[in-house]
Amino acid sequence: MKKTLTINLGGTVYNIDEDAYVLLDNYLNNLRYHFRKQEGADEIVRDIETRIAELFNECIRDGKQVITIEIVESVIARMGKPEDLNDEADEEQEKKDTDKNISRRLFRNPDDRILGGVISGISAYFGWDPTWVRIILIVFGCFVHGLILAYLIAWIVIPMAQTATEKLQMRGEPINVTNIGKTVTNGFERANEFAHSEKPRSFLHRLGNAFVAVIGFLLKLFLILVAICCAPALLVGLIVLFALLMAATGILVSIPAAFYNTLPYIDWNLIGNSPTIAITIAVCGLLAIGIPVVGLLQLILQGFGKWKPMSTSTKIILILLWFIAMAVGIIFLLQAPFFEYSYFPALFT
Amino acid sequence: MNVDNVKSQMRKGMLEYCILLLLHREASYASDIIMKLKEAKLIVVEGTLYPLLTRLKNDGLLSYEWVESTQGPPRKYYQLTKQGEEFLSELETAWDDLSDTVNHLRQKLLTANIL
Repeated sequence: MKKTLTINLGGTVYNIDEDAYVLLDNYLNNLRYHFRKQEGADEIVRDIETRIAELFNECIRDGKQVITIEIVESVIARMGKPEDLNDEADEEQEKKDTDKNISRRLFRNPDDRILGGVISGISAYFGWDPTWVRIILIVFGCFVHGLILAYLIAWIVIPMAQTATEKLQMRGEPINVTNIGKTVTNGFERANEFAHSEKPRSFLHRLGNAFVAVIGFLLKLFLILVAICCAPALLVGLIVLFALLMAATGILVSIPAAFYNTLPYIDWNLIGNSPTIAITIAVCGLLAIGIPVVGLLQLILQGFGKWKPMSTSTKIILILLWFIAMAVGIIFLLQAPFFEYSYFPALFT
Repeated sequence: MNVDNVKSQMRKGMLEYCILLLLHREASYASDIIMKLKEAKLIVVEGTLYPLLTRLKNDGLLSYEWVESTQGPPRKYYQLTKQGEEFLSELETAWDDLSDTVNHLRQKLLTANIL
């Protein structure tokens, strides 16, 4: 007995065995990966899908109701493995890509995890057996302070390996079509094995896994308890944040008052009589000060390598805007009735 | 130097020319082309054809249109564009030259051996 799936291939519906589906899906993914750099990669794979659908149709016309793994295997043999389909001789290129890509990266392992897959990922990174690492960590966790915290931080900071490429990077295996295929099928087989296999593992392995599972459960419970206990602290934190926000607003509000004292050459009583001019000057002033500040910020962030440099057109627009703001601001300032020239006798007389 | 490798290189070089030849004045869809190429033993695995067709189409040598089919979803019928016809005639002369040269060379060696 086998479970079947319904798929839509090239616009036709087929019933397909689960294992056959995995093989086909794997094959099409490999093709997609193989052609990824070629122009019209999607179209090529779509055309191949259509052809596969046609070959399936022939089988169905022969009286078969379900696409089995044998059919898929024969179809793949007929269509050819991805590495046989090289349009132009770009094997060298592929080899170069492969060599370049062998680099390990730290990921959390989603396929083998008790809590967050942190230990599993770290073990994969260093090539260790995760069970032993878990036992050692738990034993040490009882004595060394901060280990649990470190685990939690690692859980938050280290990303989960989600794609086949990332899983290969996690183990430091070269990224190529064969390996990606292996990862995709292996993931499936492992899941199946886990659910159905009755073959005995080593006693130590079983004991270790059971131990880790119990501790994992306790740890989860502990984390939930910590979260509940921390709730009041969180509340306090929120209140503090709110207070800080209030204080910041207060400072912002007090800025005009500061202006009032530092800019004695403006007659504040007259501003209300000519609001348009006042607003224009304010806007021009903001732009005249703001654009250089933004530029400086951009320069600093760019320096740390995180931000993309500004495009030339943006730069030109900002510089033009700055000049316009300066010119308009000065013109309006000279005409403003609330501007007391007496403070600048040397400039205006 | 691998014999199979050289053979497949030879076939690869020929393949584009043969596809254009098959589509000369006759639109056909991918599976027809595959059948004819397989008959001629020019391709081993069918998947080889699709990247080629797509590239020839992107280069403007081929165009396609969808044609309704009684046996399933609509099919892509490929045909040569004007540019493709010109390309084909150029390849034709190139092929004639090449086969002439090779035949000539073989003939010469053959007679030399006999003498």
